[in-house]
Amino acid sequence: MVEKDCVPFILDFLPQEGPDDTRIHRFYDHLREGRLTTTRCSSCGEILWQPRVVCPHCNADTMEWIDLPKEGTIYAHTAMVLGAPLGFENDLPFVIAIVRLDMGDHGHMLLFTRVDDAKYEDLAIGDKLWFKTYDCGDGRVFFRFTATAPD
Amino acid sequence: MAMAAVVAAGLTRWGVRKATWKELVQEAGKALFDSVENLDRKDVDALFVGAADPERFVFQAHTAPMVAEQLGLSPRTIMRTEMACASGQMAIKAAAAHVAAGVSEVALVMGVEKMNAAPMAESQTSMACVLDREWDGVQGGSAPPFFAMVAQRHMHEYGTTREQMAMVSQKNHHFSTTNPYAHFQKEFSIERILGSLVVAPPLTLLDCSGITDGAAAVLVTSPERARDFTDQAAYIKGFGQGVQGNNVTNLGDITKWPPLTMAAEEAYRTARIGPEDLDFAELHDCFTISEIIEYEAIGLCPRGEGGKYIEEGQSDMGGKVPCNTRGGLLGTGHPLGATGVGQAVEVLWQFQSKVPEERNVTGAEVALCHNLSGAANAHHITIYGRDA
Repeated sequence: MVEKDCVPFILDFLPQEGPDDTRIHRFYDHLREGRLTTTRCSSCGEILWQPRVVCPHCNADTMEWIDLPKEGTIYAHTAMVLGAPLGFENDLPFVIAIVRLDMGDHGHMLLFTRVDDAKYEDLAIGDKLWFKTYDCGDGRVFFRFTATAPD
Repeated sequence: MAMAAVVAAGLTRWGVRKATWKELVQEAGKALFDSVENLDRKDVDALFVGAADPERFVFQAHTAPMVAEQLGLSPRTIMRTEMACASGQMAIKAAAAHVAAGVSEVALVMGVEKMNAAPMAESQTSMACVLDREWDGVQGGSAPPFFAMVAQRHMHEYGTTREQMAMVSQKNHHFSTTNPYAHFQKEFSIERILGSLVVAPPLTLLDCSGITDGAAAVLVTSPERARDFTDQAAYIKGFGQGVQGNNVTNLGDITKWPPLTMAAEEAYRTARIGPEDLDFAELHDCFTISEIIEYEAIGLCPRGEGGKYIEEGQSDMGGKVPCNTRGGLLGTGHPLGATGVGQAVEVLWQFQSKVPEERNVTGAEVALCHNLSGAANAHHITIYGRDA
C-alpha cells in the first residue's frame, strides 16, 4: 500500500498506484512480480502504451494485459545534470533514455525511462538495456532499465 | 481578408524582476494604453489572459479577473488560456476568433508569467508539470533531457554539429542586444556557448532558454476597426495547430516533428501562402536544436539541413528568412505565458518599423509566429500580414 503521508517525491504528492486510486493498478502489481506490461484492446487488438481503460482507436472498454519485451536497445539517451525537479536533486546526475522495444509483428515501441548502472559517457545509441523493477522506497514501484545484463 | 488585426502592444522589461505578476501586468497594460491615443479602456470588451502555470509558480488561480482588476477593465468576455509554453499565442487565437465571430470588437490580450518567485528546484518542478506526471514526471524528467535526446538523434542521423547548434544561440543572443526589453542583452561566442555548464548532454546552459519574469500585451480588433487605432496593423491571416501525444516517444522519429508540419500546412493553407512567402519568423527556440528542426518542419529547408541553414546565415539578417529578430526565447527569456504575445509584439513593431534599424526587416509583408508546448508534441502557428 502506498504511504500517502510520505515525503513529497517528484510530482507525486498524491501517489495513485493502488486499487483505490487507479483502474490500471495491475500494471504496478505486475511490476512487483517482475513483469513489464501494458493493455491490448480486446476488440481491435491495438497495443496501447501507456495502459488504458478505453481504447482511443475503437472506443471499446475491454482490455487484456500483455507482457512487453524485457530487453531493448537505446534509441536516444542523455543525463540530467543540472536543474532537477524536487525530490531528484540528490540523484544527479542520472541517465535518461528512450528505449526501443522490438514488438515483432507490431513493429517497435519507444519507451521513456531512467537507466541505472551506467554513466552517460559509457552508453551509445544501439546498446542493449534490460528492464528492472525499481523500488521507490516509499511503498511505490516503477520501471527502469539497467545497462547490466541479468544473470 | 484578414480575420483580425493586432493594432497596439505593450511590453515590460523581461528578466529576473523585483516585481509580482500583478505588477508586471500593470506595467504591460500601461505601456499598451500609453501607446494608443484613441483607446478608451471602456471600449475593451474582451480580455484574454495567457498564463501557463500561475497555480504553481505563484500559487494563484483565477488570474483573468485579477488582470481585469489591475487594468480597470470591465470585459463582457473574459478567460484565461493555458497551453504551457504556447499559452500566450492561444490567448491571441482566442481573441481573434471572438473578433472574427463578432462576439468582441476590441479585445485585450495579456501574456504573463512570474517564474522567479520560488527557488530553482520549485520552478523546475512547476515546469515539469507539463509532462505526464504518471509516466514521465515521476521519473524526474523535465524539458532539457527530452530536447537533449532530440539533439543527439539529429546529430546521429543528419550530422548536425554542436557548433551549428551554438550558432543559433549566438545569433539570438546577438539579436537580444538590440532589444532593451530582453532578459540577457549579451553577446556570447561559440566557444563560450559550447563551454558553458552541461545541463543535459549534449545541451549546455547557453543552448537553453532562461527562466524569466515578464508580461506582454496586445490589442486585437477587426480589420475594419484597425484604422481607428493605427496606420499599420499586423493582420492575422491564418492559424494552424498540430498535436501528437504528450511525450517525444509518441512522435515515432523524434528528429521529425510531424505535428509542426501539420500546423504549418494548415497555417499556410488558411493564409493562402507558402513558406517561400515568409519574410521573417518568430520560432520557438526553447533550445537551440528546436530552431534547427523548426526550419526543416515548416519548410524553410529540406529535412536534415537545418544545421546548414543556420551555418549559411539564412536565418540571420540578410538571409532568406531572418528568425527571432527580437532575440528569441534564448536571448529574450521565456516567461511561458508572455512568450507568444511577445512574438506578436515583435511582428507589429517590425511592420511599423518601431524596432531598431539593425534588426528591422524592411518591406516585410508576411511573418510567421510559432510556439511549441510540451516535449515538441504540440505546435501552434499564426501567420501575420502587413496588409488586410
